[in-house]
Amino acid sequence: MKRIEVKLSLGAVAPLLDVIKAAGDSLDDELAASVALEQIDEDLRSEWRDELIAAQNGDVRNLLALFDSEFFTSGVVNFDEDNADSILRSCAAVRLRLRERYLGTFSDEVLETGEVLFEEMPEPERRHFMCYLFLATVQELVIEHLEPTLSDE
Amino acid sequence: MTIDEIHTAPSPKVEAETAESLVGPWKVVVMNDPVNLMSYVVLVFRKVFGFDENQARKHMLEVHEDGRSVVWCGLREKAEHFAFILHHWHLTAVLERNETD
Repeated sequence: MKRIEVKLSLGAVAPLLDVIKAAGDSLDDELAASVALEQIDEDLRSEWRDELIAAQNGDVRNLLALFDSEFFTSGVVNFDEDNADSILRSCAAVRLRLRERYLGTFSDEVLETGEVLFEEMPEPERRHFMCYLFLATVQELVIEHLEPTLSDE
Repeated sequence: MTIDEIHTAPSPKVEAETAESLVGPWKVVVMNDPVNLMSYVVLVFRKVFGFDENQARKHMLEVHEDGRSVVWCGLREKAEHFAFILHHWHLTAVLERNETD
């Protein structure tokens, strides 16, 4: 099984975990992305939403589980083919939530390019933005190394 | 951030289900969002629809530049199935009637 180990800076990443946890908790009974359920058959809607939320919660749990005792000892997190899809989705969900709840003052262009002056950014906005970028980096790593035939440019 | 170790193994699993089909009474339309990475959207299109890299990238660019892309057309039940999977991947997908069909 293909697997990657990533050594993270504990000092840089540990402060972001509270942000991920808070955003993940806020997704406990809400979907991260807007879903136009009115187009779905009425008898399907509730079941559809419940299944999506359950899957979303499972993915967020998998993301948080990366940061276990090994991470706090060595700074290492492990990605493999078993957790890759779940990690990709959970990063998307948390990033969508961060954008919606905490990064509303930034334009889409700024968020896409990441071109901001961190020094001028107040806390806790800075931490939310760092977390937003960190999760994008995690997604890029997983796509590049665990989905090679899908990311061959 | 550094990658300490990369272990290689056989090819990754791909959840491809069908080739591109743009004929049918219901359209699955993916709408733009400012959050999801382009590489992520391409990957999701490849996994969900079995698109090759060029097809997936074409649809991703349509989403990015035009705000939306029709990624599949067909029967209602299958369209709902694809919309559900796209929602599972946190893409904004809607169903529309295909007026040209």
